[in-house]
Amino acid sequence: MNNCELRINRVATLECARPLRHALGAFLSALEVDSVLCEDVLTAVGEALANVLEHAYKGRESGIVELYAREGDKKKLFVTVRDHGEYIVRDENPGRGFGLPIVRAIAQSVRVNSTGGTHVQMTFDTTKSSAVLQLTLAEMMRQS
Amino acid sequence: MLTQSSINIIKVAGELDIARREEVRLALQVDGPGQGILVDFVEVTYTDSTIIAEVLRFYKDAHAAGRRIAILIESPRFERILQYAGLSGVFPIFKDRAQALSYLMQEGA
Repeated sequence: MNNCELRINRVATLECARPLRHALGAFLSALEVDSVLCEDVLTAVGEALANVLEHAYKGRESGIVELYAREGDKKKLFVTVRDHGEYIVRDENPGRGFGLPIVRAIAQSVRVNSTGGTHVQMTFDTTKSSAVLQLTLAEMMRQS
Repeated sequence: MLTQSSINIIKVAGELDIARREEVRLALQVDGPGQGILVDFVEVTYTDSTIIAEVLRFYKDAHAAGRRIAILIESPRFERILQYAGLSGVFPIFKDRAQALSYLMQEGA
């Protein structure tokens, strides 16, 4: 299944996150990604999308949000969410700011590039529910 | 003594994301002091952090008003996102409705 790709561009409205998640979910199903990891990938990507929809084009004409996904070698899954809007350094709304920590907890690696908009590049290990395992290990270490 | 019929129930269903944040914000309101509140998320299939923020705000409002809340879920997905957000154990979460109601009817609820 290597070299499968998903590429979708949509106008960044609040309502576009759901169909983008569904499209990615269908792509992950086609790749036979573990169901728990599939949910977690959709959660992480959903956070990146929510960040775009909330911040990237705030106070200006709405632009495009781009979703790109592909399966790489060694069972890696690469997903990029990109906008051409304003990069937000941190969320100043009380009670917010959970998005990136959630992405970082789930993805094997996360790179944020703020040149010409924001690119959030996420890499996932599709061989196991790695995020769940990492959390379990982290909790065990905290408790010991 | 509180009875089951005196407990407020707020039910939300479907995919809860940024597009539904205002709807969730309006649903999760604490109308002053009173009885316990059961938040029924059994039919929720997706939650993002904008909704988690609303649940957190609601939990704080309820606590300030002296009201106990219980969140009823079915899928472990909601608990996982709380873990990822570093909010594990913050909310009283139940998978069994009877246990959630029992919690809300406890002394001091």
